[in-house]
Amino acid sequence: MKDLFYDTREPIAALATPWGESALAVVRTTGDGSVEKFAELFSSPGKILTAEGFTMHYGYLLDPSSGIEVDQITAAVYKAPRSYTGQDSVEIFCHGSLPGIKSILKALQKGGFREAAPGEFTLRAFLNGKMDLSQAEAVAEIIDAKSVRAHNLALNRLSGGVFKRINSIKNELTQFMSAVEVQLDYPDDEIGGDTVLPSDAVKKALESIQELINSFEIGVLYREGITVALAGGTNAGKSSLFNLFLREDRSIVSEIDGTTRDYIESWITLQGLPVRLFDTAGLRDAQHPVEKEGIKRSNEIIANSALVLYLIDGQSGMSDADKKVVEENRNNRRYLFVWNKIDTKAAETPSWAVGVSALSSEGFTVLENEIVERIMGSRHSASDVMIDSLRQKNLLERSLEALNRVKEGVDTGVSLDGVAMDLKDALDALGEITGEVTSDEILNNIFSNFCVGK
Amino acid sequence: MDFDAIVIGGGHAGIEACLSVSRLGFKTLLITQSLDAIGRLSCNPAVGGLSKGNIVREVDALGGEMARLIDASMIQFRILNRRKGPAVQAPRAQADKFLYSSLAKRTLEHEPGLSIFQDTVTDLLVSASGREIQGVVTERGNTITSSVVVLTTGTFMEGKIFIGEYQASSGRLGEPAAVGLGTNLRKRGFRVGRMKTGTPARVARSSIDFSKMEIQEGDEEMLPFSFSEKKINRPSVPCYITFTNSGTHGVINTNMFRSPLYGGDIVGKGPRYCPSLEDKVVRFPDRDRHQIFVEPEGLESEEMYLNGISTSLPEDVQIDFLRTIPGLENVVIMRPGYAVEYDYMDPTQLYPWLETKNISGLFVAGQTNGTSGYEEAACQGLVAGINAGLKLQKKEPLVLSRTDSYTGVLIDDLVTLGTEEPYRMFTSRAEYRLNLRHDSADIRLLPIGYRAGLQSRENMDRLNEKIKGIEEIRELLDKRRVKEKDLENLPEDYKIHVGKSFSRILKNPDASLEDLIPLEPELSRYPSRWVTHAGLDVKYEGYIKRQNQQVSRFKRMEKMKIPPDFNYDSVEGISSESREKLKAIRPLSLGQASRISGVRNSDIAVLMVLIGRKGGGRGD
Ligand SMILES: Cc1cc2nc3c(=O)[nH]c(=O)nc-3n(C[C@H](O)[C@H](O)[C@H](O)COP(=O)(O)OP(=O)(O)OC[C@H]3O[C@@H](n4cnc5c(N)ncnc54)[C@H](O)[C@@H]3O)c2cc1C
Ligand SMILES: Nc1nc2c(ncn2[C@@H]2O[C@H](COP(=O)(O)OP(=O)(O)OP(=O)(O)O)[C@@H](O)[C@H]2O)c(=O)[nH]1
Ligand SMILES: [Mg+2]
Repeated sequence: MKDLFYDTREPIAALATPWGESALAVVRTTGDGSVEKFAELFSSPGKILTAEGFTMHYGYLLDPSSGIEVDQITAAVYKAPRSYTGQDSVEIFCHGSLPGIKSILKALQKGGFREAAPGEFTLRAFLNGKMDLSQAEAVAEIIDAKSVRAHNLALNRLSGGVFKRINSIKNELTQFMSAVEVQLDYPDDEIGGDTVLPSDAVKKALESIQELINSFEIGVLYREGITVALAGGTNAGKSSLFNLFLREDRSIVSEIDGTTRDYIESWITLQGLPVRLFDTAGLRDAQHPVEKEGIKRSNEIIANSALVLYLIDGQSGMSDADKKVVEENRNNRRYLFVWNKIDTKAAETPSWAVGVSALSSEGFTVLENEIVERIMGSRHSASDVMIDSLRQKNLLERSLEALNRVKEGVDTGVSLDGVAMDLKDALDALGEITGEVTSDEILNNIFSNFCVGK
Repeated sequence: MDFDAIVIGGGHAGIEACLSVSRLGFKTLLITQSLDAIGRLSCNPAVGGLSKGNIVREVDALGGEMARLIDASMIQFRILNRRKGPAVQAPRAQADKFLYSSLAKRTLEHEPGLSIFQDTVTDLLVSASGREIQGVVTERGNTITSSVVVLTTGTFMEGKIFIGEYQASSGRLGEPAAVGLGTNLRKRGFRVGRMKTGTPARVARSSIDFSKMEIQEGDEEMLPFSFSEKKINRPSVPCYITFTNSGTHGVINTNMFRSPLYGGDIVGKGPRYCPSLEDKVVRFPDRDRHQIFVEPEGLESEEMYLNGISTSLPEDVQIDFLRTIPGLENVVIMRPGYAVEYDYMDPTQLYPWLETKNISGLFVAGQTNGTSGYEEAACQGLVAGINAGLKLQKKEPLVLSRTDSYTGVLIDDLVTLGTEEPYRMFTSRAEYRLNLRHDSADIRLLPIGYRAGLQSRENMDRLNEKIKGIEEIRELLDKRRVKEKDLENLPEDYKIHVGKSFSRILKNPDASLEDLIPLEPELSRYPSRWVTHAGLDVKYEGYIKRQNQQVSRFKRMEKMKIPPDFNYDSVEGISSESREKLKAIRPLSLGQASRISGVRNSDIAVLMVLIGRKGGGRGD
């Protein structure tokens, strides 16, 4: 069966302003329970829960898994039927940066909002009598045009390679499904002993799907880049290393402790990977209010970076503060310890750090490699094709999840009809990317591969 | 009007159709070619099987007859696929064919208000407008009028049988075809096509050496298909298993050129799921043997049915290849195998209540709609009969859903997608099969049968008692925990479960209800089938819950109704291909529309906008 996204009550979310960098963006949500669901993501949920329609609220949107603030926003609450769609709705006004918008959409998804299909808001508006009947056909055209556009877009994004890859996974799973279904549709004595579940098919599919998902994340890394912060005590050489990365003297270097008072950032490229590199104020017990503020900002940047290069002055050795950080983060892959000033009579580089000299650039290549390795980490993908749509990735994840249930079911001996249900979920998710698998196809497969039937 | 209703054809569809209209209180006439052939099992001597057993129970729950007929004529009973999970278990029974059809005839004869008449219908009587049924015309020149007509012609409409070079106008070996009706239906504008199916030889029991075959016994316990907790007390006889071999395949390969199938004489499409032995040999050359089930046709009959090797090769070839098979070295054929080709009507010409869109009051059911199988025929006959009755009562038609029955799946598939080959039910056709267990047919459908007027108050009371009982059992399973001292009576691996409730333990794939039942005497107060039912509900709760979510999603689309006379030409923004399809199928809901092949999501969106705004069609 076709997948119908037209569940007309489910909470949905979508960007309402054009997809691009701008000063302000609007993300719209609507559907049953959308106000309550949004409240859970908002810094002061009570305000939203008790809000009347047509009210604005200022606060933070929080990531539901980590509780971290995603963005500063203003939320407009609308109560059914007085909203664009006629259902409870919340409109979110946020900063118009693409990564920002994406993380807002992601947080909403985690919080239970489905990504809206093309035209879905308008459709609901019509269904709930919010628009004039005479406009119906015009809207029909819009929906049609939009979905055609979305379709083309989807087709374009779905490069031949990805299509082929997903189809081949789908075909293998269809074979597997047929082997399961033949067992379900025929009694034992009619099948004879000759159907074996090709159980490594599931393992292979799991791997291929995981690779495609990874390819998306890698794709995101290459498109959107990643944040790396230089941190450490004063005078450790952060600004020197920063300049070395930039290959220009951007940050002021001096032997005076606390030279850098506020952070500086710049985009660099590491082996093709865009990196937003921050030089921060050295961490110490500061007295001066300006420096205090700088350190506060440093800490924020450090907390939000994907990777922290923590510099230690090898010449003077570890301070107590360094020792504490090392102890706490020795096994944290987000921290990369850098033992600087190895050109001097520094103590030997410890095994858990990378030794460099920001002055002579000794050890710099090793450091670069280590950084890239840390960023890519487990996200290796042997896949030579890459997916680049969030929707595809979500569907692949859905498929992966269902396949994991299949695997678990097969391993623990769940009865085959249960396994078949999960298998169908997995296939349906892939089918939403490349076209559905119908029960007729499964039967076709059975009849052409198995000699069954009295 | 001579009658309120006329039913054409006394096969499995016709039986259910005429009984149900008649039981709804209408003066009904069954016209069939031969009274001696009422309820004849044309092919294999068995009723039920995977998904088909579920259908028999559905027919019973709705107030049909098939379950009671097989209960009274079974000569072996088995629950199939016990190991494979609840959704795909099903009862199957070997039938005494002769007993089955004589019981069927007797049931019809004893039905008050139902008349039976032997003749062959050759044309319909239709109003001047051509849009309303008025009765039938027969071969012997009788003109009989009625307000509704149910057409169930099986394999007989312009039927033609083939045995090698031999061809004859027949619907079954030895029975003449119904000639003329197919031509007249075409003239009236119906799309009528050809399909084919086949059957194996029947051989003499005394000519078989059973010592060379494997014995297949039935289950110890014979359980009823009908809504009852009583055990069946009937003789149980075994079936036998043997195999073809390379010798058999050699004979077939050598003589393939004499098959009517390979000579191109048969144009109808046959079922892929039920290939002839010739087909199997050609399509699976690597298989060195094919299984044969040797099944008795009846307790008192010499005839044995060779299940698995249907054929239309010439008779001399049939005897040659049969004699290569272990146990059949000296076999004697009593009736040869043959293929039959017949007219069927494209079922997309029907509404989901099985009335034709072209002629009001004309209902079609059974093999005529492109299906195959007794159970498939029976459930359609019943739905057509009920709806013919509802039409006479001027009530809303009864449409079953994909979510409540295999019958609903079958009819929806037929009227929405049509079929290219004889349609047989498979569990995999039902996306919500976890909810369509054979043991829940009564819970699913008996209330519907009651509302339609075919079920007794007494059965409804019994059903409610059963539902209550199952609930009590579930509570027991939730409450009762495995104690240390229970372990004495349990297998080793239950050690880890001490302290857990039965319900929790059951969710473990390794745990079985059978192990736990003896521990709790309270459970034995209930009929064992109720306990099994509750146990399965508990064991598969997780899956069932997820299935139910999918079902409610599905239902939302089904609830958005499209009027049957909706004007698709006035809709802009849908593709012309979709428009043609929608006009042909005339779906009754957005859900059904979305299942038509080739209709795109964007077309559905457009319809949703229009339908939704016309009121009553909100998605809530
Ligand atoms: C050779 C053969 C092989 C088969 N193989 C299989 C198989 O492999 N698997 C399977 O599942 N099923 C098989 N069947 C099909 C099974 O028998 C049918 O599906 C089932 O009987 C259909 O029921 P029905 O009521 O539609 O028609 P039938 O049981 O065929 O009954 C139709 C009745 O209507 C009467 N009739 C027809 N036209 C007229 C008329 N114009 N006027 C008056 N009376 C009329 C006929 O005489 C007959 O009694 C086979 C049938 C045959 C004949
Ligand atoms: N010999 C040697 N000296 C270095 C090296 N890296 C930095 N220095 C010197 O160390 C001093 C501090 O360097 P900065 O780069 O300003 O240090 P910082 O960590 O940015 O310090 P703050 O901004 O004050 O926190 C300067 O005098 C640098 O020249 C190195 O690798 N070798
Ligand atoms: Mg500095």
